Amino acid sequence: MNVERRFLLKGMALGGLAGVAMGSSSLAMANTMLGGQARPALPTLALVSGNVAESAFLQGIKASNAAKQVSVQRTDLSLDFILGLEKRLRSGQPQRIIGLVDDASAALIIDLARSTGARVQWLGQHNATANASQHRLLSAEAASGCAPQLGLQLNACGTGFSLSEQRLHGNKAPLQMGAASRNRAGSEQWAATLGYALAVMGTADSGQAPLVASRPSPLTGNFVSFSIEA
Amino acid sequence: MTEQTNTTLLPRGVDAANFQQAIAKFRALLGEDNVLVKDDQLIPYTKIMMAVDNAEHAPSAAVTATTVEQVQGVVKICNEHKIPVWTISTGRNFGYGSAAPGQRGQVILDLKKMNKILHVDPELGTALVEPGVTYQQLYDYLQENNLPLMLSFSAPSAIAGPLGNTMDRGVGYTPYGEHFLMQCGMEVVLANGDVYRTGMGGVKGDKAWQVFKWGYGPTLDGMFTQANYGICTKMGFWLMPKPPVFKPFEIKFENESDIAEIVEFIRPLRIAQVIPNSVVIAGVLWEASTCNTRRADYTTEPGATSDAILKQIQKDKNLGAWNVYAALYGTQEQVDVNWKIVTGALKQLGKGRIVTQEEAGDTQPFKYRAQLMSGVPNLQEFGLYNWRGGGGSMWFAPVSQARGSECNKQQALAKKILNKHGLDYVGEFIVGWRDMHHVIDVLYDRTNPEETKRANACFAELLDVFESEGYAVYRVNTAFQERVAQSYGPVKRKVEHALKRALDPNNILSPGKSGIDLANPF
Repeated sequence: MNVERRFLLKGMALGGLAGVAMGSSSLAMANTMLGGQARPALPTLALVSGNVAESAFLQGIKASNAAKQVSVQRTDLSLDFILGLEKRLRSGQPQRIIGLVDDASAALIIDLARSTGARVQWLGQHNATANASQHRLLSAEAASGCAPQLGLQLNACGTGFSLSEQRLHGNKAPLQMGAASRNRAGSEQWAATLGYALAVMGTADSGQAPLVASRPSPLTGNFVSFSIEA
Repeated sequence: MTEQTNTTLLPRGVDAANFQQAIAKFRALLGEDNVLVKDDQLIPYTKIMMAVDNAEHAPSAAVTATTVEQVQGVVKICNEHKIPVWTISTGRNFGYGSAAPGQRGQVILDLKKMNKILHVDPELGTALVEPGVTYQQLYDYLQENNLPLMLSFSAPSAIAGPLGNTMDRGVGYTPYGEHFLMQCGMEVVLANGDVYRTGMGGVKGDKAWQVFKWGYGPTLDGMFTQANYGICTKMGFWLMPKPPVFKPFEIKFENESDIAEIVEFIRPLRIAQVIPNSVVIAGVLWEASTCNTRRADYTTEPGATSDAILKQIQKDKNLGAWNVYAALYGTQEQVDVNWKIVTGALKQLGKGRIVTQEEAGDTQPFKYRAQLMSGVPNLQEFGLYNWRGGGGSMWFAPVSQARGSECNKQQALAKKILNKHGLDYVGEFIVGWRDMHHVIDVLYDRTNPEETKRANACFAELLDVFESEGYAVYRVNTAFQERVAQSYGPVKRKVEHALKRALDPNNILSPGKSGIDLANPF
């Protein structure tokens, strides 16, 4: 960890820090820790809206072992989209729906998950500019390790960020991580790491999210990420 | 996978042992699948849009019932263990609290599975539905059965439901837009487990439950709305006959300062029922957001959007500073006569540009507005959440007389306070018969803790300043319920708490709803 940078870790489990020291990804460690819970990737639908479809988010998904199980769909505010998604969630087929979408789509999708009885392991609000990003995460036990993974990779790539993760259960204080901007080289790394983390969540994948090169027009704005299991 | 349950989050005043006993009883009553305690089952109940921490509105559990008997059973268990239970119907009260409980730790009673359309009478134009019925479901039913009836709903139309919207006194955009006015007959499970039917519903063999509101003696329907005296398990309401001719139109006004004249122009037409529907007067940013415009398209500067940018958006998107949406309904002859009156009045006003459906074609936002005014569900208005982004939305909804001077004053006051806090005025007026619902979406970025804090302060100041001017909101999100209850004075609160003590002495039904909570000193 670069000691020259402001870097805060609060409420992070000792195991998480040990994971950093060993140089392995927190995500891999989390999936290993979950042991018996890890299982082959389910058929997964990745929902994206607007320019997320051209972003590193999908690069992250593609780099995962789960990639061959993933299909991609754009969201919109049409009834056809929402009713189609509802039908899919009510189909009885075991599946995952992950995504990085705009706020309007997210309001509809997350509540659809609730009303159809699906489980939501991860719910993130993200704001990204060219050289910094903010992440407010709400996660379940099943997503253990994903938030530290995101924070550590953002720290490594040098963009400014702040991240807080709340867990619905347990007595732990919220995880808080942050760092000032060091460079713009990894301005879309957050999206790649997020895509990778969501794709492999709950599987035995112990790999690393891909490192992505910066682009002239990185993904900026407000987004919501999620992992839903039906 | 280990089945981890929540061991730290408990309802107020309930210990872990009592809570676990209650959960076991819920499971026995409802079945394992209808008792949700795992974190990934509860997270979707915690996606709030209010400017407070998610933890303040996190549930300890959620249970789903499918019958009235099960609701009675839930109430019995809650009484035995003093469990506070927060009831939702479809749970789509976005911007007012969504599906989250009003207070941390409350158990949610989610009635989404009670979703039967019990009866629709095409001759009398009535319906009787359960809490989980959505407007889309009802719309499909009318279409499939080719029934010549029209729905009225709020903007989240397709996914919201008539029972929940009416119980929260929501409004729509048709001539039946004042939804509680069109309600007729409720079935309510009381805290003691009794099933109470309002109006004619208690009469054995009665057939008039959905056609005559008042019954005999005190009429109590209203006291169950925006309240916590019972759990509504059935609701009747009236449906408008589908008119042979529907003529939606828009009138665009160029300047923000036109609002007073617009209201003076509309009021007589509305009171006389020349324009029979709940007319909307939408501001430029409301309009822009619902035709896929984002703030980031114009500026990345923090703070309120400048008037210069607002004018630019107005020009680019071919919008008015104010955009009036109304419709005429009836036979061709009726519509023709009323159209002549409307256009004549507008000519007299000397400003405003009329746009007809033929001129607008499929363009937004005209299209979705016309759909809302004719009872066709859509989700276009969710575009509001993308204006600023970040997932923050709180409706500030003061009412006023339908007078130009009042609306002008409210709009200026709201904009000044919002802008002071670095936020935008994104508002519309919904014209009732004699009142205005001034609906403002306080949009902010929840990923930004500083902005979230600012939005909370802004909302509090809006309430304070408006109260000092003699205004109050008709509805509010769950984070500000107690504050708004104060605006309506102590006597009202004493009466409400006396009723609560009488009907729900264990304080189990949605404590805190509209500020009614036996933990309060009333």
